[in-house]
This record gives sequence, structure tokens and C-alpha cells, in this order.
Amino acid sequence: MSSHAYGNNGPSSRGVVTAEPVVAVTSLTKRFGAFVAVDDLTFALEAGTVTGFLGPNGAGKTTTLRVLLGLAEPTAGRALVFGRPYQELEQPARLAGAVLESNDFHPGRSGRDHLRVLALAADIPPSRVDEVLDLVGLVAPAARQVKTYSLGMRQRLGLAAALLGEPELLVLDEPANGLDPAGVHWLRTFLRSFADGGGTVLVASHALAEVAQTVDRVLIIDGGRLVASTSLEELAGRGQTLEDAYLQLTTEAAS
Amino acid sequence: MRAQLRSEFAKLRSTRTILGLSAAMLGLVLLVTLLHAFSLSTTDLASRSGQVRVLVEGGELVGALFAGLLGAMSLTGEFRHGTIRPTFLVTPRRGRVIAAKTVASTLTGFVLGLMATALAAAAGTLALAARGVTVQLDSGNYVVLLVGGAAAASLWAVIGLGLGAIVRNQVAAIVGLCVWLLFIENLLVDSLPGVSRYAPGVLGRAITGQQTGTLHTPALAALLLVLYAAAAAAAGWPAITRRDVD
Repeated sequence: MSSHAYGNNGPSSRGVVTAEPVVAVTSLTKRFGAFVAVDDLTFALEAGTVTGFLGPNGAGKTTTLRVLLGLAEPTAGRALVFGRPYQELEQPARLAGAVLESNDFHPGRSGRDHLRVLALAADIPPSRVDEVLDLVGLVAPAARQVKTYSLGMRQRLGLAAALLGEPELLVLDEPANGLDPAGVHWLRTFLRSFADGGGTVLVASHALAEVAQTVDRVLIIDGGRLVASTSLEELAGRGQTLEDAYLQLTTEAAS
Repeated sequence: MRAQLRSEFAKLRSTRTILGLSAAMLGLVLLVTLLHAFSLSTTDLASRSGQVRVLVEGGELVGALFAGLLGAMSLTGEFRHGTIRPTFLVTPRRGRVIAAKTVASTLTGFVLGLMATALAAAAGTLALAARGVTVQLDSGNYVVLLVGGAAAASLWAVIGLGLGAIVRNQVAAIVGLCVWLLFIENLLVDSLPGVSRYAPGVLGRAITGQQTGTLHTPALAALLLVLYAAAAAAAGWPAITRRDVD
């Protein structure tokens, strides 16, 4: 991956400075029949922060992200991005970028064409496609069909798509999955510089050790409910590691 | 919606799906047309209606079927591969995506229908000549065949898109279209001809000017098939705009 370019791709130059939180989830509930996937969840994300979104499998992380990004409708409550429901954003790609699954590609389409298709729909100039390919280090295989890509390359292609519109918010579900150590290091550095430039990151993950090195704050949910919202500094002040806190909170909540 | 339309055409051009579909369609058109032309008796082939039948059954039916598949795959392919997520993340106003897919499928279906009927007309005419039958068709018949076949295919693309919007599952949509057009409608024609003249596949055939038995005139058939396409689009719209995406 090229490490020279990320500094130019943060949202710093545009910094939307408002009192409004970048993400505001209020009393969000999502039911599937009788099953409550997300239960009265409330949280907010401030600009310039990296927030880890943690919880056991089935805790409701992915459902929350899908509602936040307009793929699913809330049963009750609301999820706002820059003060509005995602579906009402006029140019969403220029505000928010997301990677929800590691393999949302047509296997027979090239990496570059995948990005081109999205850039066209978002009215983003084609030159930006080459910029993000360079940014994530996929210039060489860009013309190859995605079915020849490794998991790590697919992760980087997904991230490239999320970055097409130079967004101010990144929502990532397990972005380090499949990345090699150099890729993980690059991602951590990138997210840090993205946030330092005023950007906001919400990253769902199970990789606690990696999260502990990357994020400012953590949201921990279990059974669809928020069980902790804290900064890593606060945890350290109590002499707890992230893993201690996570295991204590989620096993307690589960039992 | 122009941005979404450009994106849809870029999607079509950037995989080999459309090439594969076109090749399979043209191969099938050739096979069906030649089978008809060389299996029917020369007495059957001598009449104008027999000749239209040779050209229509290979061209229009196969063209409509593949246009329907293309329309269905425009959506079910995105659900199958997960690209529906990035598509809706970039364009969360899903109506714009559906509108762009409707336009793209209509135009692509038109081209598929034109290719299918043109090949059927060319191969069928040559085969008739090879069998020593005098070709009874005038240029008007050919024009109705080509324009009607293209129109029927473009409407069938919208029907396929609507079906794909409702079922989302690619295999189900493909099997459903094939079973309906190749099997159920044939049963209807044999058992309930009065009803079958209103069936969407039979209407497609009627548009191409095959005036036999109980078929509607091309103009009325076209109008009725437009209603089918509109109904499919109207049913598919809320199925996409209202339902969650996993």
C-alpha cells in the first residue's frame, strides 16, 4: 500500500463545523418479527473521533449500521447522519462512506470498473477512481476481475469505494479482516490521520487488541442494548484493559 | 437520474454477462428457426402465416425470454453479489436506481429483441429459400417482425425487472421466467386459447404480426403488453423502495 497519499485525503479542508453530532442514534429499535435485534439504542458520534463498535456476534452491530445507512428502516426511534436520515442526504457519498461486507463485488467486474460504476452514480469525477486506487494500493491489480482478489485486496477495494466521495464519516464493519500486518498498520495510520483531519470513524470489530490501538472511544452493545460508552482513557484510569471491560460487560449482560 | 443511468450502462458494459446472454440468445434463435424451417412440411411453409411462424417463434419468443432474463438479472444479480449495498449507499433514494434500471433494461431489451428477430428473419428466409419455398412475406411483414420483436423484448425486460424486484433471488427469477414463457403459456395456448390471447408471452408474439387464430392485432397487443410492463414495474417499485436490504 502506498503510505504517502493518505495525508491529502482527510476531510480537513472541508471541515463542517457544527454543534450537531455527526451521527445521532436516538432510542433506536429494530425488530424482526418477535426478535429484537436493536433495543432502544442511543449514542452520538462527535467529529474527529474514531469509535469502536463492539459486541458479541448477534449483538445488533450490523443491524444498527444498516439502519444508520438507510438499508433498513427502524422499527422505532431514529438514526441521523449529519442531522438527517441517510436516505434524505442529497449527495451521501460526499458525506459518508461505508464498508459493510467484505465481498460486495461482482466477481467478473474489475476493481477499477467497480469504482467507476459507483463514481458515475455519485457524480464523482473518474480521476478520483485512480486516486483512491493509489491510496489503498490497488493500482496494479485494478484491471483484474475481482474474483482473482484476495480477501485483503477486497477489503482495500471496499475501502477505496467508501473513500470515493472524500467523505467526512467512515462506517466500517470488520475492516481489518483479511489484511496482512502491513495492511493493518496502514489502516490504523489512515484512520488516525482521517480523524485528526476532522473526520469521524465508526468501526465495528471483534479484534479488541487492534481496536485498542486505533480508537478513542468504544461503544459496547449486547442483546441490542448499549452496555458501555466510554473512552479508552477512562478505562485506563480505572486500571482496566479493553478486553477486561468487554468480557465483564458482555458476559454480565448475557447471564 | 442521469448519473444512475450512466452507472447502469457502465455496470452492463463492465461484465461479460451481456455478451454471454447475447451469444446464448443468438445461438438459440438460430437453432429454433432452422428446426422450424426444416421440420415443417413444404405445404405448411408455403403459406404466409406458416412463414411468419418460422420467423416469429425463433426470433420474438427467444428475444423476449432473454430480455426478460436481462431485466431480472439487473436486480437479482446485485442482490446475489451484494453490490446492491454499495449501489444503495451511493444512491439511497432507491426510486432513482429503479428508474435508471427500467430505462437501461428497456433500451437493452430493445436491442436484444432487434438482434433476435433480425437473425431469425435472415436465417428463416434463407432456410425457406433453401427448401425451395417461395417467400410470401413483403417488406411490411419484416418491419412489423423486427419492430414488434424489439418492442416486445423491451417490454419483457421491464416485466423481468419487476419480477426480479419482487423475488430478489436470481435462480427463482430465471426459472420462473423460463417456466412461464416456455411451459405454462404453451399449456394455456393448447387448453385455454381464449385466455391465452391475453397472456404476456402470447401478446409478444401478436405484436410481431402473427395473425393466426385468436391473436390480437399488433397495436392492441402492444397496448396490453405495456399494461403488463407497467403493472410489473408498479409491483416491483415498493418491493425495492420499502423492503430492507440485508
